[in-house]
Order: sequence, then structure tokens, then C-alpha cells
Amino acid sequence: MHIVVCVKAVPSSTEVKMDPVTHTIVRDGRESVVNPFDAAALEVALAIKDERAATGEGCRVSVLSMGIPATEALLRDGIARGASDALLLSDRAFAGADTLATSYALSCGIRELGSASMSDVAASGAPEHEEATPGPSLPDLILCGKMAVDGDTAQIGPELAGLFDMPCVTDMRELVAIERGRVTVRHATDAGIELVEVPLPAVLTVAKDIAQPRMPSIAGVRAAAGAPVAVLSAARVQADPARSGLAGSPTQVVRSFVPERSDACEVLEGSVPQQAARIIALAEEAGL
Amino acid sequence: MSGLMVDAARCVGCKRCERACAFGGIVVEGRLARPTDACTLCGGCVEACPVDAISIERDEAGEGSGRDLSAYRDIWVIAQVDAEGALLPVVFELVGKALELAEARGCQVVAVLGEAGRAPRQAERLAATGVAEVIHTVDERLAYADAEVFAQWICALAEERRPEAMLFGATAFGRELAPRVAVRLQTGLTADCTALDIDPKTGALLQTRPAFGGNLMATIECPAHRPQMATVRPGVFAAPERVTAGAGTGADLAVGIITQAPLAPEVAPRVAVLGIEPVTGGSIAQAERLVVVGRGIGSKKNLPLMERLAELLHAELGCTRPLVEAGWLDYAHQVGQTGAAVAPKLLVSIGVSGAIQHLAGIGGAETVVAINEDAAAPIFGVADYAVVGDAIEVVTELIAQLEARD
Amino acid sequence: MAATSFGPTPTIPAIIKFSSEYDEYRGDESRSRGTAESLSFPRTEDEVRAIVRSLSSARTPITVQGARTGLAAGAVPQGGHVLNLSHMNRPLGLREGNGRFYLRVQPGLVLSELRKYLAAKAFPTEDWDEASLTAAQRLAEAPEQMFPTDPTETSACLGGMAACNASGARSFRYGAMRGHVTALRLVLANGDVVALRRDEVRARGRHLMLKTEGGSTIEADLPTYQMPRAKNASGYYVEDDMDALDLIIGSDGTLGIITELELALMPAPAVVWAASCFFATEDQAVEATIAARADLKHAAALEYFDPAALDVLRRARAQGSAFAALPLLPERFGCCLYVELQAPVEDEAMADLERLGAIVRAAGGSERDSWVARTAVDRETLRFFRHAVPESVNMLIDERRREEPSITKLGSDMSVPDDRLRDVISLYRSTLAEEGLESAAWGHIGNNHLHVNVLPRNAEEYARGKALFARWAKDVAAMGGAVSAEHGVGKLKRDFLTTMYGSEHVREMARLKLAFDPACQLGRGNLFDAALLDEVRREGAAVPEGADAADAGPDAADAGPDASGTGPDAADAGPDTSSADLDAAASPDAAPVPSAAAPADALAKAMNTGEVS
Repeated sequence: MHIVVCVKAVPSSTEVKMDPVTHTIVRDGRESVVNPFDAAALEVALAIKDERAATGEGCRVSVLSMGIPATEALLRDGIARGASDALLLSDRAFAGADTLATSYALSCGIRELGSASMSDVAASGAPEHEEATPGPSLPDLILCGKMAVDGDTAQIGPELAGLFDMPCVTDMRELVAIERGRVTVRHATDAGIELVEVPLPAVLTVAKDIAQPRMPSIAGVRAAAGAPVAVLSAARVQADPARSGLAGSPTQVVRSFVPERSDACEVLEGSVPQQAARIIALAEEAGL
Repeated sequence: MSGLMVDAARCVGCKRCERACAFGGIVVEGRLARPTDACTLCGGCVEACPVDAISIERDEAGEGSGRDLSAYRDIWVIAQVDAEGALLPVVFELVGKALELAEARGCQVVAVLGEAGRAPRQAERLAATGVAEVIHTVDERLAYADAEVFAQWICALAEERRPEAMLFGATAFGRELAPRVAVRLQTGLTADCTALDIDPKTGALLQTRPAFGGNLMATIECPAHRPQMATVRPGVFAAPERVTAGAGTGADLAVGIITQAPLAPEVAPRVAVLGIEPVTGGSIAQAERLVVVGRGIGSKKNLPLMERLAELLHAELGCTRPLVEAGWLDYAHQVGQTGAAVAPKLLVSIGVSGAIQHLAGIGGAETVVAINEDAAAPIFGVADYAVVGDAIEVVTELIAQLEARD
Repeated sequence: MAATSFGPTPTIPAIIKFSSEYDEYRGDESRSRGTAESLSFPRTEDEVRAIVRSLSSARTPITVQGARTGLAAGAVPQGGHVLNLSHMNRPLGLREGNGRFYLRVQPGLVLSELRKYLAAKAFPTEDWDEASLTAAQRLAEAPEQMFPTDPTETSACLGGMAACNASGARSFRYGAMRGHVTALRLVLANGDVVALRRDEVRARGRHLMLKTEGGSTIEADLPTYQMPRAKNASGYYVEDDMDALDLIIGSDGTLGIITELELALMPAPAVVWAASCFFATEDQAVEATIAARADLKHAAALEYFDPAALDVLRRARAQGSAFAALPLLPERFGCCLYVELQAPVEDEAMADLERLGAIVRAAGGSERDSWVARTAVDRETLRFFRHAVPESVNMLIDERRREEPSITKLGSDMSVPDDRLRDVISLYRSTLAEEGLESAAWGHIGNNHLHVNVLPRNAEEYARGKALFARWAKDVAAMGGAVSAEHGVGKLKRDFLTTMYGSEHVREMARLKLAFDPACQLGRGNLFDAALLDEVRREGAAVPEGADAADAGPDAADAGPDASGTGPDAADAGPDTSSADLDAAASPDAAPVPSAAAPADALAKAMNTGEVS
């Protein structure tokens, strides 16, 4: 079995703040972290890998990202936690991508991961001894976080499913079973929590609290230090320049601005009982 | 050559761009800014530059796909029904907005409704909202919100009829369906819009959405691709009364035609639904009144007090992320960027400091009352009414007064 | 209640009569309660001096309080006045020298606030002078700075931390608080002030002479004992030719009132990694500790969590609550050695991690059974894990207190020299087994300093636990260790002080105290019991004109010009007349100091604060 987990480097959210004077975003902490939703997706994949290892079956977990060269460290960290191999798509040609161009780039990476050369790399460099399955060129499962905490678009998973014509289940809350070429999951919908079954290969996007991401062990960190993280250019993964980066992005930001806050905030004065009475009056206006 | 351009004549080397960049994508050397390989073209530095020296240039030649934009017309609203088969409230909100845009542009609004026919006469109801046409089909394969099946139906229609814009509700289903349609049509999609406008001449849809947890609003265009696609959060636009009331109830509306357009016979659902657990209790996203609590309530032992207040106000209880992380309440209660976006008539915010991630989720609230000890708490920046004081004391008094009413 | 900084007010701040409204100021985190007649919340040193002067004529006992997070009841009043410094919480200025930054703060500044200022590189600078503002600008441009002393309880205030010579996990690398204070100001019981700066005032041998700002001289012989070769916060720190500053730090509020501190900051390490290594047995963890101490180049902390502690945590995790967010602890994880690495570059951290891997293997553990934190998220997980241990134990005790309100957790705070680590652990294990007492242990194993917590199930076990601690104090002292390594002696451990140093040395300490505080007003009950102090005072008085002790005697300190206005001279009418008053001031209510707090109160505390370690 081959699982590809797509991850995004996001700024550690606590350090995103607004400069009250200049009204610009201040992100002085340059630390990037793996989008927590994606970290949960990796944990789901690693749990599958563990389970299959226990029954003697092979499972390759590849971590994939598109990003700046520094993102390699985050992918290596994924290997330290138990992923088999990692691929970083890093190229100026990918810069400025909207979700359509991002999902396209990732699809190129996913195909590359399925190619013979990458499978070999994974087999030779995997931190734990395992049988790599060269097998089909597309993975059995593509896992993504439901969304990224910085962009909040939640589009990558369904777009990847569209590109590969795979079924997709979003906002997964529990992975129930993988057997006989089908995966059964519980996921959140507008109507409630649905229990659904889809055939593999499939795309699953996960909720953040689906799993507590595991910590890497000393053994994992040591193994990851020497593990190969492929860093490939757009040309190397045969990405069409017209579909990549800025050129491949139909949407563009034409303006950004600081939203007006309601500064007409009325401070409720008086005693606590008077304040409470005002709040109740407001609740009545709101239909109480 | 597309990419980040620095106008050397304007750049003063102030380094604001360097500080604004989260990726080390721009450096200032010799009092001149220069992009590095780490630049993601996010535009953060463009905003930060005080002298407008930085811009993102696009290579026009590489754009679009030679599409003839003039071949696309009308605004489509993709209608969604609930588990009982009834149209969701957001459909009326979208129709209302679409009518506004269509009037400016001089085009028509078309609603698209695929359903399994669980509830009677939904197409008729939709046709009475002021739309010119309802594209409709009833098919058992549309019984579940299977985005793949819906996408195939909608894409086939869109390829044939070429809408200029398509609007989806940013529901769980809408947010899954829209990207599947967008990728198939190879066009742009803007998620979670909070404002929509249209250029009457070009038909360009100006889609505004929050970025960076609501600290920044970004207006997004899709200049060279059609259809232009957007999802819109429920509750962001008010549904006009004449749209919800519908034609024939005194509203000055013509009834639209209903066109049947069947789903292709070869489409087969691949998602098998084995069971469903309906949402228990009220949903905070739909709540009319909401009590939202944060760390400022002190300790978990004060939670029953808050629950009691919510009960007395006939409100749902929401909370901030730290409370979920501390295990005080379930994720279902979380309000904010990584939780639910809410749009109640009244939101009573208690002991919430107002981290931007949280504020991103409460922008839709009509009236916000904030109770917090710290007069400098950012929550007061978005509140309509402020009580600076001890949360527990105020809540205890509220409960006492509300109980006395009964 | 945010302290807005008004300038120093010339008026004497209110001395408030004690009432039930101020009940919380009767106790501290030790969960002991005392009594007081009045309290005050000064904002400036001048206000402190005014208050102290107004109290000196009646020789009112004064208990200094900071954030009341101490575990030795040092801030619990025994009658008299509570001088609460929590409103003296401002940074006062900054200077740069020799490439380092030195921050002047008021004693009530809370550690977590200090950290916030340092992380943001921004201070409330309204009242700062030009030089400080310039230094602040330089700090903003410099690499991030830190203050290395890191008690678990970050709501502790810096004055309190200095008073008990606090330490924390990273004291393994950075030592205790004492080494990071470069200057302080001390208000004496008579309102006079001593300003001390490192390297400016030293003892000659064991004889110390100090000038006050008021022009008086304090002269005293220092106690003659040798300091243990172990982490120590027990009694006065003394050494031949010692720096006077070092005596004040760790003096438990018995010599004077610290009104200002200058803290030496240092650059925060560029790379902070941590690893929790799990072992099947305690022997393996001890083995690994000893090896890690020798082999690792960048270890900042070596902490231990014993099997019983992990079991308590497992149970708490299984019960849901906040602890459910912790990673699962497989059964084979018997106990845990937590290692924090602070390195200048990642490569060096990696080299140390590899050495740690080898150490774990050599001790019989598996490198796979470890959690390595290299990201902020993972570091937070490990921090949560470390804090969850004491919290879950506190919750367990609080549960038991509902049945048996008389019991509390009994936590030890003893350390031994490096070569006695195995001995002290086998002492704990064998005696706990003999007594059949339930326990959970964790703490600073790198410094041979474990907090062994006896978890009594009933009053009888509680009593036996207390007796066991007394026995440990004796054995630890015999090993050359300290009866209190970081919490301070306060009121709860003064018997151990005699066990550790012997009664003659404790009398030497008492004589030293009297040189600073002749009327025994300050920190009554801390280090010494009242009877001993009175006895020593009488002895001093019995040789009125005799030996060289005479001018160093209590009266000398009070005779300064500073004291003239408020008439303390009259108050100091002679030591022998006052003993009765002092006893009265101690008041019968003060006797049951280590009494139990109300269970509900205790539960709230456990949930909100957790344990100080």
C-alpha cells in the first residue's frame, strides 16, 4: 500500500499578529510549522502503516509538499515521525500558485512519487526495514488536512480528487477500516456524521482532532537525518509551466485592505444589575 | 517575466518588506529590496511597502486558455437541500445577491437544483424567487451529497451553457463540490467570500474574503477564466424578503421557467453511505443567539454557569480554541478560524480576549456583547456593547434576572 | 487590578486592617494559613520604607509576600503586618555592559510577565531614564534574551525567587537564582536601606561589614558551617570572603525586604530540543542520568518521572479531562528521563541527541521509546506532559481530601551530592516500602534532587509520612546533602535545618539575623522559631559591653540618622523588655500554621495552578 500525505508549511499561528500602528501583518517569528490539519493526516497514515506492519504487510507513507527550500526540514521531520520518504516541489516557477495551480503541482509530485525512481529511493532510504511496493503509479490513498490554518480554503483535497478522478471524502473524523480495496470512514457533513465506504484509490481530508500526532523518537530523528528528501524542480516533475505558479493561477488578489472594525462600541456603565438588564434587553431584540 | 518586481527608483530600503515576509522571500541589501528563491508571491511585502515600490507582475501571455470570455453569460446559483430535501436558507441568500449582481451586469440568474425529490415542489419554490430559470433534475443518485456525482452533472451543464459566474454556499458540501467543479472546468475559485461585487462592463466578479484570520481582507478576481466561481458563507448576505416570500405572495417577481436536465446515465456514485448520525443538539453555526466563552471564565467549574445562561437565553454555547484544547468543551463548540463561523443575531462573548483567529469566526454576528475584565482586550474592538468587569459576577446576575422572569 | 504606574506618591500608603476580604493573604501555595492584623500593598521603595518605619515603634512583625507561590510557608504571616509587594511589579531600567543586558526590576514582577517582556523585546518604559531607553533599543535589535531561572510555577515573582534562591529544571545548567542577580536593594526593619552590587562588598573570611545608605554599619560574624556539595536552599548561604549580595539571596525574608533586583540576562539559546526517554526500570533511568551528566555537552535539564508518577498520569488520562490530549503512554514505558538540550546550532544538538541515543542503549533502553521535541508544537506537548504529572497527583490528593480533609500531599525537596544519587534513591525506595506508603516521585534528577511525594490515604499515613521525611532529612544531611534544595526552609522545614546543620550553627544563623533585624520583626517563623530567636537575643544582651559583638549588636543598626524622625530609638528600649510583646505578637492563632486549607479552595488551586517544583 502506498499513501501520500500532502502537507503545507504555515506560519506558527500564535505569531501572526497585527501591528496596531501600521496595520500590517507582523510575523516576526519566522518559524514555519506543518499545518496542524496535515500533521493529523500524517498521523492517520502512520497509524495505518503501524497496523499493517503488525500483520506483516508493507505500507509506504510518502510526505509531499510544495514550498520554499526550507520546507525540507519539515518533511524530514515527517520521516522522523515514521514516514518512508518525502518529496518537496520547490521552484520559483511554482511561486504565486492559487489552489488550482497548487493542486496541479501536487498532482505532478504524486505521479513522480509513483515513478520507479522514487519508489527505489524510498526502498533504499526508508528508516525502517520494509518492502517497498513498486506497484501502480498512483497511490492507494491521498491524505490531506481538511484545510490549512493560514489559507482556510479547504480546496486542495477535492481538487486532487478531481484531477485523478478519485472519490473524495472530506472532514474525516475516524478511519474505520481499510479492507478489500475499500476504505470505510466516518466524516462530518451538513447533515451529521456519515459512515461511508469508498473504493481505493481515494482522497481523504481529515479534521484536526482526528488524531494526536505522534512525537518522533530518537531513533526516528537519527534515521531521518540521513534519509533522502527529494527536492525537485517543476521541470523535473514535468509540470506544465502554463499550469504552474502565477501563470497557472486563474485567481489573483487585486486589493487587500484592513477591515473596518466596529469602533462604535458602547460601554455598558452602571451597576452589575443594570448591565445585566441591558444585555437581557438586547437578547429580547434578538428574538428572546 | 512574471514575479515580484521591485522598483529601484522608489525603494528606500526601509526593510518593512523584510519584516512582513514570513518566508524570508525578500531581503534588503544596499538599501534595495530583492526577492529571494523563498518568495511565494504571497503579496505580503506589496502591502507592507510604504512607497509602493513592490508589485507582482503577471506574464500576460501565459494567462488564460484562449477562452472567449464573451461566450459566457448569466450568474448561476447552485442550490443545496437538507437531509429532508428542503432548500437551505443560504440558497435564498445567494439568489438575493445574484439578482443584485445580475441587475448591475444586465444578465439573468439561473438556479441549479439537483435532488432526489425528498421534499415536494422545491424546484417550483426556487423558480418563484426571482430567478429566470431553474435547471432541475430529480435522480436517486443525487440522494446523498456526493460531490463527485453532483460535479459531473454541473460540469456537463456548465460546459454546455457557459455561465459567467457560479455561486455556491460555503457549507460542508458546497466547499467540497465547488473545487471539484473548478478543477474540472480549470477555472478559479474563491472560498468563503464575505462580499461580492461585479464590474458591469467586463462581468468581472470582485470576490472579497478574509485572509490571515480576518485581519486582512483580500479582493480576488479571476480575469481570464470563466466561469468565475465563489463559495459564500451562510449568513453573510441577508436573504431579501421578496426572495424568501416568493412570487405570488405579493412580491413583484416573475416566476422563472423550470428546465429539466437529466444526469448522464453512465454516472455511478462511488461513495456508499452506510449510516448517518444526525447532528445532535443545535448547531452553533445556525444559532440565532450564541453565548461564547473563553479562558477568562477562569476554570472549568464555571462552565455549568455558562451552560445555564445559554439555556436561559435559548442560545447555543460556543467557545474559543483554548477551551477545546483544554478538553472543557468539544470541537463542535469551537468558534473561529479553525472552528465554526457563526452568524447569530446576538453573540454574548464572555471572558474571550479576542485572538484574531477567533474574531475571524464571529464577523457574521449582528450584535456582539463582550464581557471581559481586561479593558484592553481585542474583543472590544469588534463588540457593539462592552461590559468591563468580572465575567462570573455579571453572568451570575444575568442568570438571577432571567430566572426571575420565569 | 492592573498596576498603572503613578509616580512615587509622597503619602504613606494605606495600612489596611485585616478582614475576611483579604483572607487569601493569610496563606500561600503551601496551603498553610496564618493570621495578621494588617496589610499593605506598597508600589515603591519609599512606600515600603514609610510603612516599615511606621511599624517599627510597635515592633510589629512583618511578613513579606510576593506572589504567594512558595511551598514552605515563607509568606504565611504569624501575626502582625503583611507587606505584600505584588503591586511593585515594574521593570525599572536596563543597562548594557560587557555585551550583556542587566534588567532592574521591582520584586513583585512575576516571572511569566518578565518572559513576555523579553519575548516581545518590549517593556513598559514610561518611567525609564534615557540610558535605559537606549539600552532597550539595543536589546530590541539583539538576539532574544532570557532570564535562565525557571521554576515550574511561572506566576512566582522575582523577589520571592530571590528570597528563596529559586531554581528549576534548567538549574542543572545555569545554577540557581543566586548566580543571576547582580545587584539588589534591601530595606531593613528600621527603614534604612542597604544597596549591594556584586563584587563591591565582600566578607573578610567569615566577618561581614556593611554600610547602610543611612550611614549605619552592620557588622556580623557569618556562620561557620560548610555549604553542602549539592543544590541548596537551606538557611543562609555562607562562604569565606563571600559577596554580601549572596547572603541576602536565599535568606527567606529574614534579613530585610528586597525592593529592587538587577537581573543578568543572557541570550536565549538558538536551538532548544527536548527528549523524553522512557525506560522499563528506575535503575536504567538512573544509569542513563549518570551517563548523560558526563557525556552530554548541551544538557540544560535532566528531569525524572518515576513509575508511580506515570501511573497516576495514565489514570488521569484515561479519565478524560484535559490530559486526554497527551500522547498515549504504552505500558512498557515504566519511567521517564526528560533531557533538554540547548545548543547554538542544530548540528550540535543533533550530535548530543546521538550521544543520548547511545546512553539510552547502554542503559538498556530503546531509542524508539522516546519522544523528541524539536518544534514548538512538540515542545508544548512535552511541557504539558511534564506539568500534567504534578497536576494529576494534586488532583488525586484533592480527591482523597474529600474523604479525609486532614491530609495533604507531602512533598520532599532534598538533594545530595552527585556520587550519592544511587544511595538516596535506594533510601527512598527501601523506606517507602518498609512503611507501605504510596508515593510518586519526580524532579531534578540531574541535580540529585527529587521531589518524593507521599500520597497518604488517611491521617495515620500522613503522620507516618511526616516522620519518614524527618528520617530522610537526617540521612540526606549525613550524605552531605541539603534538606531543602529549592523551595526554601520557610516555616515548614525549620526543624530540618537543625537536622542539617546542628543547633549550634542554627544559633549562628540566628545571631546573623539579629544583626540585620534586631527586633526580630521580619519573616517571623522563617528559618527559626520565635523561642530560639528570643533566647539568642537574650544571650546577646547578656554580654552588654563585652566582646566585639557589642557594636555589631542589635542597637547599632537602629541608631542611624535615618531613624530619627519616627522614633524607633524609643522602641528599641532594650531587648530584654520586649520578649513578652513579641510572644504576644506571635499570638495563639499563629501556632497552627500548617493547617489544612478548605478542600474546595485546594481543588480550585490544583486545577488552576498546579504544583511548584
